[in-house]
Amino acid sequence: MTSRHSRSDSLVAVGRTFAVTAAVVCLLPLPLLVAIATSTSWQRGAWAEGPTFRWLAESWDNFAPYAGVSLRLALLTLVIDLILGLPVAWALARRRFPGRQALYALISLPLAVPGIAIALALILAYPTWRAGGWLLVAGHVLYTLPFLVGALAPALAGADLREREAVAATLGAGLLRRLCFVTLPVVRPALLAAAIMVVTLSLGEFNVSFFLFTPTEKTLPVDLYAAYITGRLELAAAATVWFLLLVVPAAAAIEHLGGARVGQA
Amino acid sequence: MLAEPTIAHQSEQQHRPAADLGAAALAAPVLLVLFALLLWPLGVLLLRSVGAGTGELSLVTYREVLAEERYWRALGNSALMALASTLGALFLCTPAALYIEGQSGYGRRVLAVLLTIPLSLPGVVIGFFVILFFGRTGVATGLAQELLGRRVPPLAYTFWGLLLGYLYFQIPRVVLVLRGAAAAIDRDTLDAARTLGARPWQVYAAIVVPILRPALLSAGSLSMATAFGAFGTAATLSRGYRVVPLEIAAAFTERFAPELAATLSVLLALLTGALLWGLGAAGSRRHGIL
Repeated sequence: MTSRHSRSDSLVAVGRTFAVTAAVVCLLPLPLLVAIATSTSWQRGAWAEGPTFRWLAESWDNFAPYAGVSLRLALLTLVIDLILGLPVAWALARRRFPGRQALYALISLPLAVPGIAIALALILAYPTWRAGGWLLVAGHVLYTLPFLVGALAPALAGADLREREAVAATLGAGLLRRLCFVTLPVVRPALLAAAIMVVTLSLGEFNVSFFLFTPTEKTLPVDLYAAYITGRLELAAAATVWFLLLVVPAAAAIEHLGGARVGQA
Repeated sequence: MLAEPTIAHQSEQQHRPAADLGAAALAAPVLLVLFALLLWPLGVLLLRSVGAGTGELSLVTYREVLAEERYWRALGNSALMALASTLGALFLCTPAALYIEGQSGYGRRVLAVLLTIPLSLPGVVIGFFVILFFGRTGVATGLAQELLGRRVPPLAYTFWGLLLGYLYFQIPRVVLVLRGAAAAIDRDTLDAARTLGARPWQVYAAIVVPILRPALLSAGSLSMATAFGAFGTAATLSRGYRVVPLEIAAAFTERFAPELAATLSVLLALLTGALLWGLGAAGSRRHGIL
């Protein structure tokens, strides 16, 4: 394009090659997944007898109830995260107090401990709570809360926002008015991105859930795992297609709202 | 390991007394919950690993674990997998992040979005992706059989299959951490180096890697810790290559030995914690993961 670009040409070309390679690797499984999910028999070849919706229809009956459980769990996790996380994000952003760094480190601790160790710790500490599904909620809250706080605290700490609040205060706006008409509109994108992230992380959580799920509270990834280990390939692929339709749009929305953050695998 | 949120206002800092009752009230619910659901359970885990449930405290399960070749092999497998997937991801993602941050326009945005897709996928799904390509009826396995004209054992359940799965979930995480730092690199410096005749690898060795060093270290430590703790991908591909999280699950669900599982968990948590703190501290705190 410009002379600037032509000079750093081969450097840009290297970067582009690596970026496109990484993106292709990330994307490549998706069309294959759809092809397998819509083939009568993958062993006989892709669409050997024309595309079929049989597997997608069959797996939907299995998918829907687990999706219900997972969505309910994700929303409950979000509500608890907001109740716990909003005040503490505010305190971290606006107050200086002894132990502030320690508090932040404590909230982030679940990211440093393998999910499987957290799950085991919860079971050993509260063996009787597992049946009601409460440990599952606890595990999901522990694992998602650092993301909510980590996304909201910087947004609430912004100097521009604090100045606007101060101006509103000198003009006579009370705390509630300032919160509703100044603070909330400014942090809304961050809040929305954090909320979608919490829901997405919870929907995809497996490491903690694998130990904590109960027969009545089985989440989607745990069900997918069962399908991968024992199920027919085409059915497992179809179930995965439904799952991706649920989570991938959310991931794109997060990126659109200002970027994703890093979670466990 | 983690960056802290922007520091509060200067004036507030000066006239606020050491004990802030307002902040304490705001933080109290979280502290209570984290104590009950995190610190206490982790303490129980530690106590159980030293035999608190059986009567007297002893390090006997630790001695058992360290005496068993099976666990040493799992540890070696985990370490090799963590190292290989981390180095692979850093190699692939450094130029990618530099490119994405250096360009403006639609293509860059699309690449950025595509690279975040795997973030929302659980490890089990990523393991399934590996099976789709390298399993018994996988596309790549079939292709190799066509080309070689003989049966090929599936790669999915070997070191290489697992490595591809681990790379798949490392790529978006490493790209995210590196992108922020790559955006700060001065493009004119890169252009100047190119004008003076430096080859791309020389630009990376002399400019990019030294500038990105803190971010590379924190991305690396995060990626190592993630790999050590990753369970879903390994569980789906668990037929061959055994890593530590699989042994923890097996100790608890198959051998019904909670003490053994607790001991392995404590060792694994110490290992990932040390990696995050050690390598993370070597990088700057400002390039943390939050």
